[in-house]
Amino acid sequence: MRTVVMMFAAACVVVRATAGDIVVQKVTGDVSVRHGVTEVWTRIAAGDVLRPDDTMKTGRRGSAVLVTSAVQAGRKTMTLPADVIVDMSDIRDLSQEELMLKLTMEKVRASSYEWKNEDLQIPNTAATHGADGAPGTLKETDPATGILQLNGVRVLFDNGFFATCALKGLKVFRQYPTLGSSFRNRLMVAEALEQVKLRGEALSEYAALSTMEGLTQEQKSLVKARIQTLRR
Amino acid sequence: MTVFRCFMIVLGAGMTAHLTYAQAVFAPRAEAMASYGASVRDTRGFTANPSGLVGIRDWDFNAATSIATAVPGGGFVFSGFGLGKRFLDNHALALQYSPGTVLNIFEPATVTVGGVNIPADRQISYAEPLAAAYAFRASDRWSLGLQTRMRTERVNDPQYQFEIKDTAIVSIPKEFLATTWFVDPGASYRPAEDVVVSAVGRGLFRFTSGGLPAEFESYLLPTERALEVSVAYTPFPSLTLVAGGSTARNGSLGLEWLPGGNVALRGGLYGSGDEHPFVEALAAGIGWSYSFLEVDASYLHFTDQTNRRGSIPAGALASSEIEDVGMNPFTPDRATFSIKAILGRLKESLARIEGVEMFGGIYPSAYEGLAFRPVGRVHVRNISRKPIQTRASFFVERYMDQPTETQPVLIAPGEEADIPFTAVFNEQVKTIPKMMVRDGTVSVSATVAEDFDDRTQTRVLMHGKNDWDGNVLSLRYFVTPDDPEVIRYSRDILLQNKDSADSGAKELRSFSNARTIFNAFAGKLTYVADPKQSADNVQYPSETMKIRGGDCDDMTVCFASLLSSIGVSTAFVDVLPPGKPEEGHIFLLFDTGVDPKFGASIASNPKRYVVRAAKTGASTIWIPIETTVITRGFDEAWSAGAQRYFDDVEVGLGLVKGWVRIVDVY
Repeated sequence: MRTVVMMFAAACVVVRATAGDIVVQKVTGDVSVRHGVTEVWTRIAAGDVLRPDDTMKTGRRGSAVLVTSAVQAGRKTMTLPADVIVDMSDIRDLSQEELMLKLTMEKVRASSYEWKNEDLQIPNTAATHGADGAPGTLKETDPATGILQLNGVRVLFDNGFFATCALKGLKVFRQYPTLGSSFRNRLMVAEALEQVKLRGEALSEYAALSTMEGLTQEQKSLVKARIQTLRR
Repeated sequence: MTVFRCFMIVLGAGMTAHLTYAQAVFAPRAEAMASYGASVRDTRGFTANPSGLVGIRDWDFNAATSIATAVPGGGFVFSGFGLGKRFLDNHALALQYSPGTVLNIFEPATVTVGGVNIPADRQISYAEPLAAAYAFRASDRWSLGLQTRMRTERVNDPQYQFEIKDTAIVSIPKEFLATTWFVDPGASYRPAEDVVVSAVGRGLFRFTSGGLPAEFESYLLPTERALEVSVAYTPFPSLTLVAGGSTARNGSLGLEWLPGGNVALRGGLYGSGDEHPFVEALAAGIGWSYSFLEVDASYLHFTDQTNRRGSIPAGALASSEIEDVGMNPFTPDRATFSIKAILGRLKESLARIEGVEMFGGIYPSAYEGLAFRPVGRVHVRNISRKPIQTRASFFVERYMDQPTETQPVLIAPGEEADIPFTAVFNEQVKTIPKMMVRDGTVSVSATVAEDFDDRTQTRVLMHGKNDWDGNVLSLRYFVTPDDPEVIRYSRDILLQNKDSADSGAKELRSFSNARTIFNAFAGKLTYVADPKQSADNVQYPSETMKIRGGDCDDMTVCFASLLSSIGVSTAFVDVLPPGKPEEGHIFLLFDTGVDPKFGASIASNPKRYVVRAAKTGASTIWIPIETTVITRGFDEAWSAGAQRYFDDVEVGLGLVKGWVRIVDVY
């Protein structure tokens, strides 16, 4: 009876949720959310409505079922397994053009307006940063966080959000280079690009994969076949 | 005393009449080219076509002398001088004094009284000593002119009387004078760049005073009206061909060739339907110019020398044949020399300004950028027959130290071109308290000379020093990290918090300094949400700190200045949601200089920062700051900025869709 009530409550919330909102339909174990730009994780319960700027995290024995209203994917449920971090803003479909622009922007990594030649170039006296003296005691970001994020990327892939999967995957690889040296992870991103029909970008990724060291014969054959398919 | 007076008729008119003359039209160029009407461009021979005077540049002066080479004992004669002036761009006046345009005829005669021979020579003089003209350029193609010429016809006839009482013969010279003013209208038309057609109505109107007695009326010159037409064609810039004709049954051909070296070679041919042979005279000439001077020489030779050597048989004088005092059946071969000087403006205009367009007002805040971005453009036309290199310059008195000058632009003959110009303003421009209008001078120069080919005034809208054009690219000009007040403020704050600043990790020094300055800054300022009044107005940081308040633009600019003054790079985030201009907003990013791999040291939530490349190429962590919530302190401003950035850039895809722009300040 309790389950029925919870399901009914969740269904009511789904009706009230606005487009783009994500509704938590079912929660098992350790599942938390970080709202917006806050730094605090709070436990989540079935029926909660998540905003696009929220981030969900599941613990070792946690899982959750979400109801999304992604435009192209249509209203559907999505299951978050254990040990993942997923940004709700990634549970959406991007157009091919948007994805290409984002990819380009990520590649240049300088999302800044470039001065045109005819504009005034004032010498930048403030460009040198004052890290004088010995390095301090900064801690690198925990690699475990990267693994959780990568797991979230795979969730996106498995649920058909290939565009955001590719974008987030590349972002994670840049931030955690060791994760980007995994054949399986790289292959996932390449396949995501292929799925969204960005042949050129997918081809680049496969080409990069083929140059990785330590590939098995089977992996090499797979990549080679993909490249040949894309080149046709 | 009874006096019996008896006037004696001169007996025994002379066998031969003698002639003296100057007669040169004192324009060797005109004489050498024969058909000159369409080639008049200054005071030299302007009586051939007064409308050509519009070619005068400024003051124009010329003088000439001539010598009749075929006349025994002939010497140099001062032919005269001409003076012209161009005024109000399209008008010209000229005056000619030509005492040398004279033809004197002496008819020798003797009276014998009582066996005594008494000389009784009769003298007939024709002169055209004065001419004046006015010309007006009606359009690029048309010019009009009107001139008046004075002609005198004088007969000096000695007569005698007997004084019975004294049985003496007394000579009483009798002089009779007729003065006629002729009015000649003229016009020039340029149907194409290389063709000029002129027409002059010769003697269209006339006014006569005085006269000759009936016995001398045969000496009067004919006054028939005539129409003279001339055409000049310039197939090449160095060659001009001319041809002309008159209803008085004469015509002429000529040319002017410019081989180079400022030299002009000329030749002409005169023809007359009344003369045999048809070719009446040949002419040749040469000219040389340097700077404001030009000297010319010509030689005129007649094919038939009868009656041209200083004497004519009795009865040969037929005044009806003298249609022109300067050129008639008695005119001898002659050489003519002249010198011309251009006074005042020496340079011939090659270009003309057709219009000026300013691209908008001048925003003092962005005045440095105007040295590189055009503030307007001038539309220039090449009015010469040669390709010209044209430069434009722009000047606003008081707010510019000297005019700016553009790179030269090549303009083909008759073509037009737009020349964009920039402006280098001085510091005075930043003192303009509010919007005002000033005069700006736009000049164009088509030669290496410093003179202007044309010049015009245009209205320049000078904005106040706090005015902003709304473009985020211009907002950076309000950031003044070098302002002593900004430097002193930021240094003071850091000094007051030296202990806490030194306690943190050195890699986070920029981050912690920014936090410290912001919090100190926040404690003294008040955000004023008044976008309607301040949308186009931005305060300089020193002003914001002085009045302790401002809107988001003012706060963003001020904080960017403070951070820049301590060596922290900043960038503006310009948000303009599509279809919602009223929600336009600007906030700030500053560079912590921290490597993204240490992101967790800044914040555990990566949405709180932005990883972007600095101009050095290295990726670092940048912090978004929303200055509208400045009074709530750094952390609140950071959270608000991060939230806004994430919503607009990551969720809204504003950056890739173009409605979010990030502009580095320095």
